[in-house]
Amino acid sequence: MTRILDPTLRAVRPIATAPLAPRPSTLAGARIGLLANGKSNGMLLLERVAEILGERHAIVEVIRVAKTNASVPVTEEEAGPLLKQCAAVVTAIGD
Amino acid sequence: MAAAMGREREGIDLDDPWQAIEACYEQGWTDGLPVVPPTEVLVERMLASGPWDPDQVLLHEPARDRGVTAYKAAVNAVMAGCRPEYFPVIGAALAAIGDPNFELHGPATSTGGAALMVIVNGPVCRRLGIHGKANLFGPGFRANATIGRALRLVLLNCLECQPGVLDKSTQGWPGKYSLCFAEEEEASPWEPLSVARGFRPGQSTVTVFAAESGHNVLAHGTGSPERLLTLFAETMAGLGSLSPGRSVIVFAPEHAGHLARERWSRARTQAWLYERAWRSLADLKRSGKIEPAFLTNPRLLEWLYRDHPAGVPVPPPDPGAAGHVTAEDETVRVHRGLGPDDILLCVGGGEAGGHSAFFPSWSRGRSVPFVTKEVPS
Repeated sequence: MTRILDPTLRAVRPIATAPLAPRPSTLAGARIGLLANGKSNGMLLLERVAEILGERHAIVEVIRVAKTNASVPVTEEEAGPLLKQCAAVVTAIGD
Repeated sequence: MAAAMGREREGIDLDDPWQAIEACYEQGWTDGLPVVPPTEVLVERMLASGPWDPDQVLLHEPARDRGVTAYKAAVNAVMAGCRPEYFPVIGAALAAIGDPNFELHGPATSTGGAALMVIVNGPVCRRLGIHGKANLFGPGFRANATIGRALRLVLLNCLECQPGVLDKSTQGWPGKYSLCFAEEEEASPWEPLSVARGFRPGQSTVTVFAAESGHNVLAHGTGSPERLLTLFAETMAGLGSLSPGRSVIVFAPEHAGHLARERWSRARTQAWLYERAWRSLADLKRSGKIEPAFLTNPRLLEWLYRDHPAGVPVPPPDPGAAGHVTAEDETVRVHRGLGPDDILLCVGGGEAGGHSAFFPSWSRGRSVPFVTKEVPS
């Protein structure tokens, strides 16, 4: 009998340590966040998403945050306004 | 097949080694080539060859918050076919790509499809058979083939860089299997790369770089440093890969000999190449390299106008006119990189032949720096 050992982290560490936020029941009256991940056309894509959301839902405000570097995590400073003010955040990368 | 006990030592029990090789494929644990089945005995031998505790994190990837322990690194090193004595080099290379400055998440996942280049210096090369002579980038050398492969397996298995899922390389390239080689220090006109990077002579080091595929620089017809280096500068200034990014040049011993004979220093060679590896802003615009978004990005504007006496225009250029070529654009020289230090020079290859290599960095942007770490003894 040969035992081969697991080379992955799947059994060691759960993929997500933070629980998912509850899904908002409505976007009426909501502030929506846009988080562009740092590539040059991310916000271009997100602006179109915001436009479509605005046509379908009574969104009161859109808050935009653009990371400057796609290779590093979002900073607390960047995430702050999204966490404090937004009911939902859409993020995208756009080359 | 039955699941094994234990949290860290989880695995699969199998009847024979061939079945184990197939099981690794079934689990999605390989890079496409067969792996050495990572049994407990082999993993323990690998771990015992390094100075780290099994639970010590050798690589932390911050964007997705993944910590790769020495134990998991050892499992993957066994699978890659490494001998246990290679493990200190692998640990040093993992620490180097895990350096926060390296920003591993980008080159590990981007459409650019970078390989993780590992250049090894010092006495460890001879001791382990890390090869820097003929066919150093090609097949035939266990240490070269398996040390780089261990890094790739860590990315695949621990950082979940599965092709087409998290690793979105548009094409990738064969260097992603393994790209590890020794600097051929005896053929270098200069101090070893490790010493140029601030380490003592006699220290063994790894230097990592996120590399796009290399370009052969062929020159058999000249011994003049200026003529020779013109070919390198032309290759570096190719529009396909021109960017603010860094460069690695691996001089063949024959080419290095021409520079040594004329006593060209490392610094002079770097400066000469930087000065001549440029294209006009007009060329960049004509070839569609200047996207509108470049003209609203202060870092890219700084690169484009870095060498221009008047600097970045005020007000800045209109993004809507990114493709419009002005008379002034013909006079703006846009260099590869931001300065001579962005060009890393080393030496490697067989005694015969005028074939050197230029490797552009991953990314059209600034991309990651060179990172050098000592190999623990």
